[in-house]
Order: sequence, then C-alpha cells, then structure tokens
Amino acid sequence: MRRNWSGAGSRTWRWMTLLLALGLLLAACGGDDSASTTTTAGDSSGGTTTAGGDTSNVTLKVAIVDNPQMQDIATLTPDYFTAETGINIEYTVLDEQTLREVTTRDVGAGGQQFDVVMIGMYEAPQFGENGWLYDLDKWAVDDAAYNKSDLIPAVVSGLSTDTGFWASPFYAESSFTMYRKDVLDAAGITMPDKPTWDDIANIAAQVDTDQMAGICLRGKPGWGDLGAAFTTVLNTFGGTWWLANADGSIGAAQVDQPAFKDALTFYVNLVDSYGEDDAANSSFNECLTQFKDGKVAMWYDATVAAGLLEANDSPVKGLNGYALAPVKETAASGWLWSWALAIPQTSSNPDAAWKYVSWATGPDYLVTAGENLPGGWAAVPPGTRQSLYANPNYQEAASAFAQKTLDAMLAAPIDNPGTTPRPGLPGVQFVGVPEFQDTGTRCTEQFSAAIAGNISIDDALSACQAIASEYSTGG
Amino acid sequence: MEQNVETQIADRAAAHKARVRKDRWIRRLPLLPALIFTIVITQIPFVMNIWFSLTEWKITPPVPRAWTGLSNYATLFTNTFFRSAVWVTALMTVAAVVLSVLLGLGIAMLLDREFFGRSVVRTLLITPFLIMPVVAGLIWKDQIFHSLYGVLNWILTTVGFHSIAFVSKMPTWSIITVLVWQWTPFMMLIILAGLQSQPQDILEAARVDGASAWGLFRNITLPGLRPYLELGALLGSIYLIQVFDHIKVMTGGGPGSTNVPYFVYQRSIGGGWDFGQAAAYSTVVVVATIILATYGLRLLGGLLPKEEG
Repeated sequence: MRRNWSGAGSRTWRWMTLLLALGLLLAACGGDDSASTTTTAGDSSGGTTTAGGDTSNVTLKVAIVDNPQMQDIATLTPDYFTAETGINIEYTVLDEQTLREVTTRDVGAGGQQFDVVMIGMYEAPQFGENGWLYDLDKWAVDDAAYNKSDLIPAVVSGLSTDTGFWASPFYAESSFTMYRKDVLDAAGITMPDKPTWDDIANIAAQVDTDQMAGICLRGKPGWGDLGAAFTTVLNTFGGTWWLANADGSIGAAQVDQPAFKDALTFYVNLVDSYGEDDAANSSFNECLTQFKDGKVAMWYDATVAAGLLEANDSPVKGLNGYALAPVKETAASGWLWSWALAIPQTSSNPDAAWKYVSWATGPDYLVTAGENLPGGWAAVPPGTRQSLYANPNYQEAASAFAQKTLDAMLAAPIDNPGTTPRPGLPGVQFVGVPEFQDTGTRCTEQFSAAIAGNISIDDALSACQAIASEYSTGG
Repeated sequence: MEQNVETQIADRAAAHKARVRKDRWIRRLPLLPALIFTIVITQIPFVMNIWFSLTEWKITPPVPRAWTGLSNYATLFTNTFFRSAVWVTALMTVAAVVLSVLLGLGIAMLLDREFFGRSVVRTLLITPFLIMPVVAGLIWKDQIFHSLYGVLNWILTTVGFHSIAFVSKMPTWSIITVLVWQWTPFMMLIILAGLQSQPQDILEAARVDGASAWGLFRNITLPGLRPYLELGALLGSIYLIQVFDHIKVMTGGGPGSTNVPYFVYQRSIGGGWDFGQAAAYSTVVVVATIILATYGLRLLGGLLPKEEG
C-alpha cells in the first residue's frame, strides 16, 4: 500500500495551504494598480532661501503623461530649468488613462497633490469652466519670453473658452492621410492634396491586394481610438452625436439620423472591404506596425505618425506621401489634439508653477530640446508653435512632413467641425462634454463589433442611440 | 452527601468550561488585530458603497451629491447593457469553471500515476496559474490569437485555411479560452489532492474483485472526489465572476465581452464618472458573490476536520 488516510490527510493539508497562498497571491496581483513612477529632477540645486517672492528652494509637483517627449523634458529639467530658477520639479509619470483618472479626481475633488497637471484638449475647457484651473492669460499676456502669439491659433482655441486660456500646449497633433507614394505611382494614381472620402474609397479599391490592404483605419473601441477617427468622418458627413439645447447643454441624440447611419455604413464598409486585417482590434499602434511592414497602402491617422514613418529605422522611410484629412461635406475634417500643462486652483505656488509652464511650453524650450536631445530636432515636441516650423534645423530634420503637418494643424476646424449646431465646442474628434467619454467608449464598442461582423450596423446604431439618449436633457 | 458530590462535579465542570472558554479567547486574541484590520478595509468601505449607491453623485460636471433613495437600483434591471453584462458574466463564469474542472480532472488523473519526471511535469503544468492575468491576456491576444502574428493563425494559414481574427470575431470564447488555460492548473491541483487521499485498500479490494477501470472511476473515485470538485468549482466561480484584467487588455469591452465588473469600471472611473449608479451595480455583484461564497465556505467547513468542543 503506497499511501494511507492519515498520511494523505497531512499532505492534503499542505496542498490546501499552498492553494490558499496561491489564491492570495493571485488576488494581490489582480489588485495591482497601474504603474507610476516618480522622479525628482534638479536635486543638485539647493538654492538659498531668501525673503519675498523669491522662488528658489521651491519644489513643484508635476503630473505628466508617459510619452517620449515628456520623458525628454524630465531629463532636461535639472540643467536647463532648476539651475536657472532654483525651482525643483518632482515629476509623476502616468499612462494616459491613469493620468486622466488621477487628475480628474485630484483637481475635481480639490486634492492638493499636484501644482501643475498635464491634461488633454478634451479636459482643458471643461476643467476651466468648472472653475478648477487658473486662467493662464493672467501671466501669459505679459510674458514676452512665452510669446503667446507664436502658438498655432487652432491649438489655442481648443484649449480656451470665452472665460479663459486654461492650459498651455506642450505637444499637438492633427490628423491627415498618409500613403505609399510608390504603390500609388505604380498603379498610376495621383493622390489629390485635399482628397474626399470618395477619392479615398476609390483609391483603396484600386490598390487593395491580398498582400496589401487598401487602407488602415482605427477600429478598436475607445472614445480616443475608433471614436476619434470615426467622429471626424461623422462630422464631414454632416452628422453629429447630439443636438445642442439653447443653453448649450446636451439635446436629443442624433445617432438615429440618416447622416450618422451614412457615416457609419461608409466607415464599416470601407474598412471591411479594403481595410487592414482584424480592423476591429486595430488602433494607432497596430496601423503603424502594418504600415511599416508594408501591409497597407494608405493610413488615416495622427500627424505624429509621419515622424515615425520617416525615422531612420523605418523600413518605409522616403516612400511616403502626405495629404490633408479626407472630407465629404465640410471644407476640412482633421482632428486636433494637444497635451497641455495647466495650473490647478489648489496649486501651492501658482507663480512658480507659471515659471515652469512658461519654460516647458515656451519657444526657447524647443531650441533647447533640439540642440540637446539625443534624438535631435526630429524628437522635439511638434505642433504647438509656428516658430518651430520656421526653424531651418527643424525643416531639415522633418522635411518630408513638416509643411503638411502645419497645414493640417492650421486647417483643423476646431470651432466649427460639422454642419449642425452641437454642444461641447471647441472639439473636433470629440464632443467636449463629460458625458462623451462614456458615450464614445460604449458606442465604439458597438461599432467595433459591427466592423468585426458580430452585430449589424442597425443594431449597433440602435444600441448607441440608447446610450447617447441616457444623457439627453430636455430643452 | 451525594447531592454534594454532584454539585462538586457540576462546579468542576462549569469551571472547566470557563477555563476552556478563556483558553479559546486567549488563543483567538492574537487574531483580533487582523480581524479589526479586515473590518476597517473591507466592511466599512462596503457600507460606504451602499450609501453611495443611494445617491446621485457625479464628479464631472461637478454637482453636489444628492440622496435619491433606491432609484439607482430601480433602473438596474431595465438597463439592457447591465442585463447583457450579467449574461456575459454568467456565461464566462460557468463555461470557464466547467471546462477547467473537466480538463483539470483529466490531467489530474494522468498525474496521479507514477512516471519518470512527474514532479517536473506537475510544476510545468502549474505555471499558467502563476502568470499575471494581464500578461496572460496579452500573450494570448498578440502571440496566439493575432490574425497576422499569432501562432494559431500561422498554423491555420500553413495548412491552407484563411486566418481568423479570433478576439474580434469571438470575444467571449477567446476570453473563456484564456481563463480556462489559467484556471485548469488550479482545478488540477485541488483534484490531485483529492485523488492522492483516496483509500488505496478499497481500490485494491475492488480491483481484486475484478472491477474495470471505468467502474473504479465511476463508482469509487468520482464520488470520493465530489467535495474537491465542488470546492474547485466554487473557488473558481468566486474569482471568475470578477474577471477584469483579461477583458481590459484583450477586447477593452464590447458586446460579448463586457461583464459586470468591467461595466462597473466603465460607469465609474473608466469614463462614466457616475459613482452612484456604479455603486449600485457593484453592490449587486457583492451580494451575488456573497451568496456564492457562503455556499463555498460551508463546503470548506465540511471538508476540513472539525474543531473540537
């Protein structure tokens, strides 16, 4: 007999203990929050304490988004900001979703965690109107080094409302059409400078093969993924998410209107017929990979992609052409997005915070970055200032796409994106109301399922109409 | 005299009882901080959550929190999206538990035999359970299911089929597959513990009497394994009812993959910012989990040797 009851019993106990321990371990793993890192820049500079409004020996807490340009500024801060001003900067780097949650809770609920927060173009007007932020014009108009008039006007509009200029742009992008010039040339096709969506559909049909899809479009759920790309199409097809009430609040949902159906039907059919593989699961990164791999001939997405396609390690470097965002019934349809620095009302030292914002988003930082970053001028945060596009060093580094990017930025219809009145302006690829996050994300889940072929376009539309109607108010 | 002896005995018995009770408390005393800690970090938030669920509370746009009574619960069951999330939760939990118990049973039966390298094989089989859910979700999505770069589709296209975008086309079953992959080792461990505690003499006696292998399994092994199967299924259900990570990284939600916990996330910090409504949804999940857990704990209580006295 190999085993007996009592021996097996104690073994069972050991097994049980192990299992419980494993269970706890699993629970602990499951509860793990998104990673965040805190780095202190400028600990080298002590700075002597003096009386009055002197800012030396001040430490500011800054929350920033986890992207390469922001990591760059964290490395440059000690030598080029703290050494000059004596202000220490303590960065908290968060991924986009976590940053959004943290800043909304911190700024909105009156926490005092941060002196400067990075927010997007979606949040800035809303947070400002909620009374959560300082109006930066308080300092910006008198700050010659900051030079507000150098900022690209559409970007300033997107970050402002009638009552203030709420956040200073650090990085900005629009959307445009990218295409493989060699592939279109071989097919004898010329891309118009300002293509229509019908042109794009025709070209996609002609260049689509088994090895190479005609076009890459976002299909992954999320108000900032499929939601952004689709909303620009919706705008130019004459549709909108909601009507606006007389007081600017959200009116009746417009998802059941013909223009919305036309836009969604066009988008789904285009991507299903000539789009990339597994479109329902693709967004910026997936399309970037496929474009670099030569698996798609065209791509409609953020202007920032051009810098990656023309980078030295890109297999398609020099093969690409760029055109404005495709239109249907409007004159322009490109989106506008910016990551921008704002000063919450709870900031412990708003004057010192402005010094930092003015430095980080000022024209001189672009030169500092271009001259000192390992990536050189190509790694400079783009899209915010006209002086960057006039700089010969930048023009040389970004010759393939700099002009087209600037054209797209200037054309973005930030205050009037569609053909109907709507709530939540400024905003192109989103509706600038808090309710859009939820509506956009849950509706794009339905649209994504329609792209995958799991549900019909009509079912997706009626589900989305129900979601959007949850937020309609009478008027 | 006799009376006296009886009272003496009774007194002594009472004293003994009191001492036993005191001993028991002394033994429990060190656990008290843990108990208080548990109450502070789990029960108080839960009571607050119930309070939130009775209010209308949105952070953005900022409006004052207002008492609304049970209205958050009233809209709960008429909401088609909540109903669909409940259905996805039920399907995902039941399918993943049943499949992983069946697979776990099969693998445990194989592992119960002596063979060369058994402990190595056992360790390797456990590893999926030790992998973090986010990592498991990403590996399956990007390296196995992916329509261009996935191993599964490479096999399909190599033998001449078209590639399939598994996660997009079959979101529910793709996630269930990953859950089964992760939870089969857990079930296997529990069932293996049950198998190894089988009385060998009974099996031997049955074998001597000429019972077939299937007969042995059907009439002796399986009834003996019942409490282990039930335990595995219940613990699995309690965990799987709250699956979140896999959904977040594989599909990011959608019809067919948004379960109740993911729906609660979306309605609150995931963009809805409607904490009152989200609190009502999560209260319902907690109640459902408590019902499951109560059965589970009762079963655990029956399985472990009883505390004396």
